[in-house]
Amino acid sequence: MSFPLVAALLPLLAAVPLGLLGTPRQGAVANLLLCGVTFLFTLGVFADPGAGLVHADRLGMLFGALTGFVGLTTACGNLNFVAASLEALSLRRWRLYHAMFQLVLGACLLGLYADNLGLLWVALEGATIAGTVAVSLTRSASALEAAWKYFILGGIGIALALFGTMLTYLAAQPALGPGLPAMSFSALAAQGAALNGTLLTLAFVFLLFGYGTKAALAPLHGWLPDAYAEGPAPVTTAMSGLTLNVALIALLRFRHVMQENAAAGGGAMQPGPFLLTLGLASLLLAAFSLPRRRDARRFFGFSSIEHSGLAAFAFGVGGAAAIFGGLLHMILHTLVKSALFQALIRAASWRGSAAPGHYAFAHLRGLGGEQKYLGWALAAAMFALTGMPPSGLFASEFIIVSQTIQHDPLLSLPLGLGMVLCAVPILRHLGPLLFAPSKPKPAQARVETGLVALHLLLAFGLAFVMPLLLFHLLSGVAAGLE
Amino acid sequence: MSLSFSLAHMMGGLMLLCAFALLSQRRLASMISLYQAEALTLTAAALWQGYAQHSPDLYATALITFAIKAVVLPIGLRKMVLRFNLIRAVETVMPIGLAMILGLALIGIAVLVVLPTTLNEVSLTREDLAISLSVVLLGFLLMAVRRNAVAQVIGFLSTENGLVLAAIGMPGMPFVAEFSVALLVLLAFLVVGVFLFRLREHFDTLDLAGIETIERRGR
Repeated sequence: MSFPLVAALLPLLAAVPLGLLGTPRQGAVANLLLCGVTFLFTLGVFADPGAGLVHADRLGMLFGALTGFVGLTTACGNLNFVAASLEALSLRRWRLYHAMFQLVLGACLLGLYADNLGLLWVALEGATIAGTVAVSLTRSASALEAAWKYFILGGIGIALALFGTMLTYLAAQPALGPGLPAMSFSALAAQGAALNGTLLTLAFVFLLFGYGTKAALAPLHGWLPDAYAEGPAPVTTAMSGLTLNVALIALLRFRHVMQENAAAGGGAMQPGPFLLTLGLASLLLAAFSLPRRRDARRFFGFSSIEHSGLAAFAFGVGGAAAIFGGLLHMILHTLVKSALFQALIRAASWRGSAAPGHYAFAHLRGLGGEQKYLGWALAAAMFALTGMPPSGLFASEFIIVSQTIQHDPLLSLPLGLGMVLCAVPILRHLGPLLFAPSKPKPAQARVETGLVALHLLLAFGLAFVMPLLLFHLLSGVAAGLE
Repeated sequence: MSLSFSLAHMMGGLMLLCAFALLSQRRLASMISLYQAEALTLTAAALWQGYAQHSPDLYATALITFAIKAVVLPIGLRKMVLRFNLIRAVETVMPIGLAMILGLALIGIAVLVVLPTTLNEVSLTREDLAISLSVVLLGFLLMAVRRNAVAQVIGFLSTENGLVLAAIGMPGMPFVAEFSVALLVLLAFLVVGVFLFRLREHFDTLDLAGIETIERRGR
């Protein structure tokens, strides 16, 4: 058993006992312990990347550790969430809730570590099913509607992705022979030039729309804001944000195979324009949807669409530097967004209830005066999301913009416009959140405040004082995928 | 044209016919029967491909397809129709004739997309692929033109049948894919079953047109 296999299997297997045994509090503690152990294993993957079907490359290692870390901090905050909303769900649903927490974590890790097209597909399918169950847990009419939307759109995406996977196999099979090698990412990337280019293009279109649905790229984003807004908060927001990364990385890997083929004259089309179009569409869609959203979870759901689109855009621009920027952007956005949701959940339960429907911005007015630490932590995370310095996202967005100017100068105009339009609505919400008048109550730093600070510090540190290890890993990955 | 070609094509054609006929049916009971016929044809196709490719894996696929898709799922769906008292005409979004013309257009698109891009492949795989893409697209269309949740589920299941038809036609494709498809259909069905149950509690009807509450609340 290698580390990647254990890291992915442990949460998947642990979901069974969590789903059958224990009180909600015990479940939350067990969930935290499991996430801690899984995080250690994802760190162990750096030492032993494994071999064969479940085999972590550098990209998988990096995002696996990030997934493990976010899983751990979300599980920390989850303790308070469970304690505060014990009444919201029945015992059986609390067990199911923790089982789904672990399933989403395990499926994400499996999708990141899999060196096989089929296994990646199974992982994302598993994450979809777990996500659907999680969204439907509260059983309100709007939660069921959101879950139904998620299931139908996710199911169609998964079906398209499977068709694309089979076409990729068909394109690779003459060059790599029948059987497992024709489904391995590393073999495909090594033999990119020998594949059947026209089939590969057809496969890429199906994969783009299939995994694009999971990455919530416009026009396939419909499920995401509803799913973020309706389920029990920690699983449907912080955890399902991690599946966006898995889908984006899958797209990046397929893009690389196609680029290799196109560069070697294998007959494939350039993948860039496809990704640029969908990325820009997502960015602009978010820019025009954000100002109209009043519910904070839905609002930040649209913001996830924006950042997913930005990463896809960066991959579309191409070249090692732009891919470096896109990957860095995904890492930083995951850190900032999960911190933001932690603070948001805490803020909503401070104001009465963390159940869906209690997240309107109007509901959070004046939090800064009332709860000094929490209010400012939430505001800091929101500010970090705008991508203005000193937020870490500034560094990655700067790289993406400068690379766009270098490669496709005309596209930098809509890109910049979209980024500015997305930042303005966030800034507009900061003032009322911090400075609206409210009754003074004693402020107290909580676990979540510390967690938010930890995430934001990491995002700041990774962007501006980038550790050499991360720099070497990311540049190596980006140069390899150019 | 050897016997292996003509038989595989015939079964693919029969599946396409079933998928197309699904579009024309108004009643859930006959939709379920058609789905069952489609799954049975898929079983036969998998058996035949297993024999032609000398691959025992495909026999297992055929067995799973038969047990789950041709027996268990139709029984479950029929029970659901009886329990919810859905033995009546299904509301459609557009006239049946229009839906069938759209279906024809989708089949045309599938053939035009697949055949020119696969010139180097064995012709068996090419045509199988065109047929299965047609079945997949017709399943999507069925989901789009029906409002009833059970009818949408049947459209989804028909799509999965098309995917399995594509998978069994791929020479030497590892077994992982088919197995997971068959297994996950069951999972998906369970999930959907829960939904339908709860939808019934909440809305007293399985017509999804009436539940767009989020839209009305203005987000």
